Amino acid sequence: MSSTIIFPAQPEQILKGLGKLWTSLGEEEKHQGRPTVLRACAMTLIVATDEADAGFAASQTISELMHEHPARGIVLAVSPDAENDLQARVLAQCWKPFGKAQQICCEQIEITAKPANWQNAAPMLAALTVADLPVIFWCRHQGAVKENACFTDKAAMEAIAKLSTKVIVDTSGMTSPEGVSFLTKWQAKGKLVADLEWTRLTPWREPLAHLFDDATRQNKFATFDTLEIEHTEDNPPIQALYLAGWLSAPCKAKVIFRKATGFGPGIQRVNFRSDEESIEFERTSAECVTLWSSAGRERKYTFGQPNVTALMTEELAVAGFDPAFHMALERARELLA
Amino acid sequence: MNNLLGLIIKEAMSVLVQPLPEVNPLQDSLRFARRVPPCAIVIFGASGDLSKRKLLPSLYRLFYERRISQNFAVIGSSRTPMSDDQFRERMKESVSKFLEDAPFDEDIWKSFAQCLFYVAGDLNDEASYEGLKKKLDEVEKSHQTAGNVLFYLSTQPSYYAEAIKKLGAHQLQKGNGWRRVIIEKPFGHDLNSARKLNDEIHQVLDESDVYRIDHYLGKETVQNILAFRFGNGIFEPLWNRRYVDNVQITAAESIGVEGRGGYYQEAGALRDMIQNHLSQVMATIAMEPPTVFDAANVRDERAKLLRAVRVVKPDDVAKYAVAGQYGPANVGGQDLPGFRQEKSVDPNAQTDTYAAVTFFIDNWRWADVPFYIRTGKRMPKRVTDIAIQFNAPPLGLFSQETKGGLREARPNLLVLRIQPEEGISLRFLSKSPGSGMRVRPVSMDFNYGSSFGERTPTAYETLLVDAMAGDPTLYTRQDMVDASWQIVQPILDVWGNTKFDFPNYAAGTWGPKASDEMLARQGHVWRVP
Repeated sequence: MSSTIIFPAQPEQILKGLGKLWTSLGEEEKHQGRPTVLRACAMTLIVATDEADAGFAASQTISELMHEHPARGIVLAVSPDAENDLQARVLAQCWKPFGKAQQICCEQIEITAKPANWQNAAPMLAALTVADLPVIFWCRHQGAVKENACFTDKAAMEAIAKLSTKVIVDTSGMTSPEGVSFLTKWQAKGKLVADLEWTRLTPWREPLAHLFDDATRQNKFATFDTLEIEHTEDNPPIQALYLAGWLSAPCKAKVIFRKATGFGPGIQRVNFRSDEESIEFERTSAECVTLWSSAGRERKYTFGQPNVTALMTEELAVAGFDPAFHMALERARELLA
Repeated sequence: MNNLLGLIIKEAMSVLVQPLPEVNPLQDSLRFARRVPPCAIVIFGASGDLSKRKLLPSLYRLFYERRISQNFAVIGSSRTPMSDDQFRERMKESVSKFLEDAPFDEDIWKSFAQCLFYVAGDLNDEASYEGLKKKLDEVEKSHQTAGNVLFYLSTQPSYYAEAIKKLGAHQLQKGNGWRRVIIEKPFGHDLNSARKLNDEIHQVLDESDVYRIDHYLGKETVQNILAFRFGNGIFEPLWNRRYVDNVQITAAESIGVEGRGGYYQEAGALRDMIQNHLSQVMATIAMEPPTVFDAANVRDERAKLLRAVRVVKPDDVAKYAVAGQYGPANVGGQDLPGFRQEKSVDPNAQTDTYAAVTFFIDNWRWADVPFYIRTGKRMPKRVTDIAIQFNAPPLGLFSQETKGGLREARPNLLVLRIQPEEGISLRFLSKSPGSGMRVRPVSMDFNYGSSFGERTPTAYETLLVDAMAGDPTLYTRQDMVDASWQIVQPILDVWGNTKFDFPNYAAGTWGPKASDEMLARQGHVWRVP
């Protein structure tokens, strides 16, 4: 359900637009004679993007995320092709849960801004966040997360982050030192930060952690003193650093990174060993990883790169401080030093 | 308003799910699904209704979501002769039919079916257990189940003791891994039979290996009561006799006995619902906060609460308990039979298809606050909820509008909806728009489905995972079962010796008049859910 363009994009006008939207949905209820629409919101999710599609992909992802994380979604698309300096439109994302008669609806606000004006969006966003609920800022604006970001981009990012409870970025386009330094800087400012590169590691981390549910192996965790990680890049990618940080921090194992060929980019093989046992976790085809232990048996897992909706679904479920990520990031910094 | 309550619940949940110190240094409870060790599940009574409607669909769903170990197997057992493939085919039909809120995937089923096996046999026949033992040895090797076995007694209750005795006689209660037994309700027919059954079980199994299932405790919304109460700071201070006027727990069903007339005739509503499900719900609503959120502490508090429930004297049963039985009626143009006209039911049956009881909890928090519990079949709709009626303000300053034009005596009502439309609503007074100060009740609503978009696991999914993971928090312990039988036993005894003038309520109504009178004596009325 869409509405007309709101220009100039004054917060009062946008909120009025939202009000009208709910009134029109309510009209439908009157005709039906029973509640047909349920308004849902558990957070404000702000997505800033400078992608060439004027926020289309971000909007699409938000609409998918709403099913598991109902939110007031705000897409801020920064584009030189924007028609006006700042303009907005409001819409409702509605869906009907399996077997239910009532639709669940979330609010979505789409704002387009010219690059020179997007820092002016922050005061507007301050008026548009839902009171008393977390504000999550997912920064898909690649220009703003670069080390050499221009002043406007930096200022805009800073202003929006200030409104937010948590900032989510994807450092996959950065070098490891850039990514680590970026996140460290935001952490130092007291922000909760998250990186989708860390989220992508869950399919690697979970089976490895599972191995240590075994009490015998658990007791020997401290004896695992060497960790080797093979990757396809010339330098260890940030995923490899995170994985190394997470695995080696509790036992202070020595970490060795090695370049190798394999199936697709990124981590190919992990070897974690002690004098008594060697654990191998390896991509053995494009769709498969094999976990093998010298003290146990071999297991195969399907390996698919989760899409961004799946990554964000996982990340939005971690509302507060993420101790495992914090530890991994800290150790990644040490490994880089 | 939805937002605010949604946040409160979310925050409460995040407090309660704070992980206990992990022994696995790599554990990440924020992201990894709860781990379930490899195991084999043996279902006795595998061709029965519970297996078909609940157990297999739940296991399939857990498999679909990869929430159970890859190394697992299900061995169905019942008297019907069947091959593994026939069992798989039958279960496929059931799973595709009874899967709740989830799609059926043919490919996933094929993998799941490889984990299903069948052993035909009679629970009284020694040879059946030898066959089972052999099959367990096979799947331990082929499916690497590590010797862990979860036995599920989904049989007629009269078989429980014998089955457990034979498990012991064939050394099936111990093996290379852990052995646990899930026992379905009813756990005993009365206090004495429950105690006897406990004694028989304990001759073979430790209490820690016994998982008495009460599927109500596995419902998300029942678990959420704990989050709501103990994760928030604003409700608990009001949760006592000073602020609460009365508590009403309703579990109504619109259907009749649906072919279970034979069983239901022997059980009745008090035994079928109040002794187990609803007394556990009452315990969850009224218990003291546990010092630590773990199985032992939570169960200790529930048991303590149940022991504090006043046991009604035989002479007072008529005052504090009402039995009812539905008669025929025409509802919405459809003629509905009375209970006595149902299939397999004695035309003179004295069975209670409705039961309402007033309980008092003799502790400092709840002294003199009535807890009204009612349950019945063929009521106007299917609903289970808990209503906490708060006291009125000391002075009524405003005139109020209500449907009947009467002043609402106690405007503040907190309703915890267990099913359907799971959620929480809080009723309070608000000024009506316009001149003058007229107030009317409005409702602040939190809907589980809209604030948590993800699919809610069914109670059986939750409880099966808990049993496999060795977490008995949501299972009832021997002392809890004992205490809940103690509070209903005097009522059962009196009703057993009473000749009721049944039927005393028509199908499609909220129960007998005597039930309204029971509340009226305390100055209360049943709310209409």
